[in-house]
Amino acid sequence: MAPSANKDACVIPGGFTVLSLRFSEDDSAAALHQVCVKEHRVRSESNTHRPADRTLFVLNVPPYCTQSVLSGVFSRFGVVESVDVCVKPGAADSSASGVCELFRVQEPQCFRVAYVVFRSAASVNAAKRHPLHDPLIASTAERPVRTGLRKWIQQYSGSLVKASSLQAAVDQFMEEFDTRKQQEAERLQQEAEQQQEDEEGWVKVTKGSRGAKARPHTETANQRTLQKEEKKKQRKELLNFYSWQHRNTQREHIAELRKKFEEDKQRIAVLRAQRKFKPY
Amino acid sequence: MKKKRKDLTLTEDTIPETEVPESSQKEEAMQKKTGKLRSKDPKRKAKDTVSDDGVLRPVKLSKKELYKAPTVEELNQLKEAENLFHCSLLKMQMEELLKEVALSEHRKKLVDSFVQQVTEFLDCVPESEVMELNDVSWLSRVEVPFFLVPAAATGKFHMEAPASVSLVGSYPLGTCIKPRVCVDLAVIIPSSVLHPMDAINQRYPRKRALYLAGLAQHLSFLKAVGSMSYSCLHGNRLRPVLLVKPSGKDGDKVTLRIHAIPPPDFLKPSRFHPRKNNVKTEWFTGVAKEEQGAAGPATPHYNSTVLGDHLPLSHLQFLSAVSAQCPAFREGVALLKVWLRHRELDQGAGCFCGFHASMLMAYLLSTHKVGKTMNAYQLFRNALHFLASTDLTENGITLAKNPDSKAPALPEFHAAFSVVFVDPSGHLNLLAEMTTFTYKQIQHEASLSLKFWDDPTVDGFQTLLMTPKSMIRTYDNVFQLGELVKLQASCKKLSLLNELMDHSGNYVQTALPFILSLLKRGLGERIHLLVHSLPPDPEWSVKSPPPKHKDQSPLNIGLLLNLEHALSVLERGPPADNPKAAEFRQLWGSRSELRRFQDGAITEAVLWSGSSACDKRLVLLEIITHLLHLHADIPHSCVRFVGGQLDDVIKVNKELCTTGEEESLKVVQSYDDLSRKLWQLEGLPLSITSVQGAHQALRYTQVFPPVPVRLDYSFFDRKKNHLGLVPREDKPCPTYITPIKVIVHMEGSGKWPSEQLAIRHIKAAFHICLGELLTKHHNYKCHAKPNYVDVWKDGLAFRVEVAYHREPHILRESLTPEGMLIYRDNAEAQALELETQHKPFLTSTLHGLQQQHGCFGAVCRLAKRWLASQFLLEDVREEAADLIVASLFLHPAPFTPPSSPQVGFLRFLHLLSSFDWKNNPLIVNLNGKLTVADTTDIKNEFVSSRESLPTMFIASPNDKKVSIWTKKVPSVQMLQRAVMLAAESLRVLENQLIDSSQKQDVRVVFRPPLDAYDVLIHLIPQQVPLLAKAVDAPALSFQQGTFKGEPATSGGALPVIDYNPVQLYLSELRDAFGDLALFFHDPFGGTVIAVLWKPNAFEPRPFKTSLMNARRVEMNGDVATVVPNVEAILQDFRIIGEGLVKKLELRTEKWVV
Repeated sequence: MAPSANKDACVIPGGFTVLSLRFSEDDSAAALHQVCVKEHRVRSESNTHRPADRTLFVLNVPPYCTQSVLSGVFSRFGVVESVDVCVKPGAADSSASGVCELFRVQEPQCFRVAYVVFRSAASVNAAKRHPLHDPLIASTAERPVRTGLRKWIQQYSGSLVKASSLQAAVDQFMEEFDTRKQQEAERLQQEAEQQQEDEEGWVKVTKGSRGAKARPHTETANQRTLQKEEKKKQRKELLNFYSWQHRNTQREHIAELRKKFEEDKQRIAVLRAQRKFKPY
Repeated sequence: MKKKRKDLTLTEDTIPETEVPESSQKEEAMQKKTGKLRSKDPKRKAKDTVSDDGVLRPVKLSKKELYKAPTVEELNQLKEAENLFHCSLLKMQMEELLKEVALSEHRKKLVDSFVQQVTEFLDCVPESEVMELNDVSWLSRVEVPFFLVPAAATGKFHMEAPASVSLVGSYPLGTCIKPRVCVDLAVIIPSSVLHPMDAINQRYPRKRALYLAGLAQHLSFLKAVGSMSYSCLHGNRLRPVLLVKPSGKDGDKVTLRIHAIPPPDFLKPSRFHPRKNNVKTEWFTGVAKEEQGAAGPATPHYNSTVLGDHLPLSHLQFLSAVSAQCPAFREGVALLKVWLRHRELDQGAGCFCGFHASMLMAYLLSTHKVGKTMNAYQLFRNALHFLASTDLTENGITLAKNPDSKAPALPEFHAAFSVVFVDPSGHLNLLAEMTTFTYKQIQHEASLSLKFWDDPTVDGFQTLLMTPKSMIRTYDNVFQLGELVKLQASCKKLSLLNELMDHSGNYVQTALPFILSLLKRGLGERIHLLVHSLPPDPEWSVKSPPPKHKDQSPLNIGLLLNLEHALSVLERGPPADNPKAAEFRQLWGSRSELRRFQDGAITEAVLWSGSSACDKRLVLLEIITHLLHLHADIPHSCVRFVGGQLDDVIKVNKELCTTGEEESLKVVQSYDDLSRKLWQLEGLPLSITSVQGAHQALRYTQVFPPVPVRLDYSFFDRKKNHLGLVPREDKPCPTYITPIKVIVHMEGSGKWPSEQLAIRHIKAAFHICLGELLTKHHNYKCHAKPNYVDVWKDGLAFRVEVAYHREPHILRESLTPEGMLIYRDNAEAQALELETQHKPFLTSTLHGLQQQHGCFGAVCRLAKRWLASQFLLEDVREEAADLIVASLFLHPAPFTPPSSPQVGFLRFLHLLSSFDWKNNPLIVNLNGKLTVADTTDIKNEFVSSRESLPTMFIASPNDKKVSIWTKKVPSVQMLQRAVMLAAESLRVLENQLIDSSQKQDVRVVFRPPLDAYDVLIHLIPQQVPLLAKAVDAPALSFQQGTFKGEPATSGGALPVIDYNPVQLYLSELRDAFGDLALFFHDPFGGTVIAVLWKPNAFEPRPFKTSLMNARRVEMNGDVATVVPNVEAILQDFRIIGEGLVKKLELRTEKWVV
């Protein structure tokens, strides 16, 4: 590897610094993962969770490095404020945030990317200058990482929840949901009220996108109407009434036979090509 | 039009194929069909219609092509195809088949020249001195193809050149077909060699054999002769033949069969009346009898053998005359021969060979059952119809127009032979050697074939003329009778001396009909059909003596079972005072005893052993061995049962010897109880509209159905708040408890929210509610989760999921900017529909199928066990496998639905390996809901959109277009591998089953080949929960947290449900490294995970943020590329599976580029 580096840090095109990561410290001969880091800089994103100068973007995070593990690993460069681990680079999914943990869809345990937010910008630079040959350690004596059987047993144990706590989560969500629904209903009612005549007979017309169409129309309803009309048309038509119609049907019949004949011929040719006519 | 003509002429010689405008190609094709223009180059013909890769494409014809004015010829042709055949396809298929089996001109020339050479050489056989009949010293280079038993023989013999040599049989008639081209050459023994009294005491057959030996000795000097061997005609040792093959490379292309026959009218046919005796008892036994004068017992078989030798020439004459009248005669016979050959009926003793087929066709023509102008297909069909509807064992037929007065009448034939078909001379029964059972088999096959041919959804051509029906794949149970020498003793026991004499000492042929009728009587209504394999024609070198009767391969007896009665352990006989009781006692011997039944009757009865379904499958073996031992002195060791060998691999309980039928039933019963209790629950906010099972165990197809367990609490940790048990790190993995999925649909109501997340919360609330109610009313331990509620009942875990029927619709809804509500399909909705609608439906449908076909579940379980052990179960999913097996039962053509697990499994392997997945959808007509039109629609749709459809397409009534179960997997490569493995497994398995001398280990086909994989991850056996179910049961055993004994029906602590570390490990591996490698595992106790790197995983890729996972950076100059970080990945295999992985075994060093 040719480090085009300042000092020992291994910087590759694209502005990433390659760091190495070891699972545990007591195993010095083990193979290392390479983690690429770079300061987080995305033009379109104006996310306050990830301030541009203090956020480190980390690539190739092994599946056993969870949020807490990463914050431990990167704390050697400075105080870590928050860590955000996701499957793909990009803005955090906001829809899942409001949901209770029990109802969240489990994410695949693959290699992921992470956004590490430090307290100070200097930490980002420290990380970027870190040399390749000094590996980061994921699992240490103070903060061991559970994998394998121990993790699965813990997972299983964690999956046992009390009915009451589940009920509480459901109740909370439904309460929020109901209030949201109610608010929406009120808003709709207000809108409807606005469209009614006031005492003097005036109607206020707004240009809202959903217009004044009272009945919600759907695709299926549309299609149904179209079909009905089609049927009506068909009923009016007479079959085999004119002689040209009769001729046409006969022509169609022969064409059908011909088409079938051609299809069969092709089928035979395929079978012959596969030597399917050797009976034994 | 003129321009086109020009084009055409050009294509004929100069312009290469690709440059020809398409329309003219099509035109050419059209004209070829009408017979105006014949293409000179056969290769080209194939080229313009087939796509290169052998895939069917939709045919596109231009408007002009379709609507141009038809010619009269074309119209006729199209009409004929439509009216006479089901479609033009069948007609073309038949033509192709006939082309394939017909002898080529080249082959005919070869035959003719060889026959010429041999004939000329035979004409100069030197004359020898006259010597005694039993003096064989003059033969130096060859042996006599005859048993000289008894040795005493009087008469003189000398060699002399044949009176004439002529071709007989199928070759001159034109009905000879490939393969095994066999040309019959009749050499007429000069009358000076024979004596009018030769008919008696095998003198003539001996002379014939000696003459043949003389010919063989003479022919051995001919250079053109490659190899010579003896055989005998239809297994009849009295009629040896000499097989001569040309030397050089053409040796295997043609066989000359030399028959030595007497001059056509040497002996009077009336001497061979079936009631006459031609073998003297004194001579045969060597014991002089006191009472003289009586004519001795009739020897019909011996008589017909000798008589048959007189007639080949006149038969040929007769058949030639018939075939000259009917142009399609030859082709019709050829089709019939192909059909017979696939059913293994055309060879061996008592066969229905090509000669008989020709004679049958001649009979149909002469009695005007078929017309002279019919085509080959019609002739064939009518022949099948005749066979199916006429019972020649009762009403024989005769070809003799006006038999002479001395010819025997039909009743006389019936008295002597079991099947009667008299030849044109009126003296010979052509089917003298055939047993009733073989004829019944022919009848059965013929009626079955007609049934399939009338079914428009079955590809009749493929199933009837192209699929071989080997015995082991056709019949539910096969019994092999080995050590045939023991049949000598049975002849004695059954006192068959006269018959033995009639068959000239062939004790196998003598005893066979008696043994079979004995079995038939004993098995009674347990079976639909009993057939036997035809003893094969022996073939031996001219330099060795003929093989003994006992040396032939074992006799196979095949049974088609009637599952209603077949496996019952009780044989109930007549009441004790009934006169039939004695008969019953005689049949069953000491096993018969008087029993009193619950209905008060006291009857004779036989009780066989067997408690589980697995045991009961052996009842037939017990019956057969008992009967054979009792009545025919055949010891148990001679009978080998082919049919239960595979049961071992799906044994659930090794001690009780059950293969899952009983366990499945228990699960279903427990489920029924739960379902009833769910229906009866009161206090739910909405009522339940349906309770449906959605698990394999509820349709009897779970490979190892869940077994109720009783827990050892000390084995587990308990969670503090007493929610349930938790596995412990320091103990082996607890026994795996399968959650049995049950879908509960709740009634629709306006109260359901119309938003997915809210629906999920409401469902969670329902789960809690259901759990609480079940605990309250029935004291079941329940555990509610957002997606399901686990119910612990009867030592089984049921996973109840609430479903709302509108949820998939809601998932599909979306709003356009214009405010229109549209439905767009998405993966989430499909997955939900699959779980809540398709799975329950499939489960209930297949549950119904199990009720109709008792061994459906067992076949499914064998098939899935095989798939799992070959690492294929994740590619051919359980539901897909179930459907494939269901198709074996619903569309058994050309077989009958399987009635034993083993035969079903063999057919599964055959279907998987031979089905043309590329060009055909597998249509499974569940509940018979698909009409003929539906099937055609599915096929057409399939062809027109082949590319976008899954590689393995399985259509069923509820799923005509998508093939939901095979949508994602298998991939082309995995299907290819499955096909290959199935073909190889089938070959190995069938060889082993049919040949008892091979090493008997059926588990061979359940052991996956591991050499193709790159890395093997060996697991710690203690942590593999289903270890005991492994194909090769492990030696070590350890506690898995259960006690023996009956579990409590309710209460107790919640066990560890659905905790399988191996599956968790696999899913983590696939999540992390799925894009680099494939992981294979046998879910039933496999202790190895096989890893295969993806072929393109190791190519260096340019550095990208989306392509960095598990890779490392390499710098080449200024360009950064990434390659998989293999060492770290291997390290991760260990880290992720800590506590489960024993060791990694690296098989290849593929990553070192």
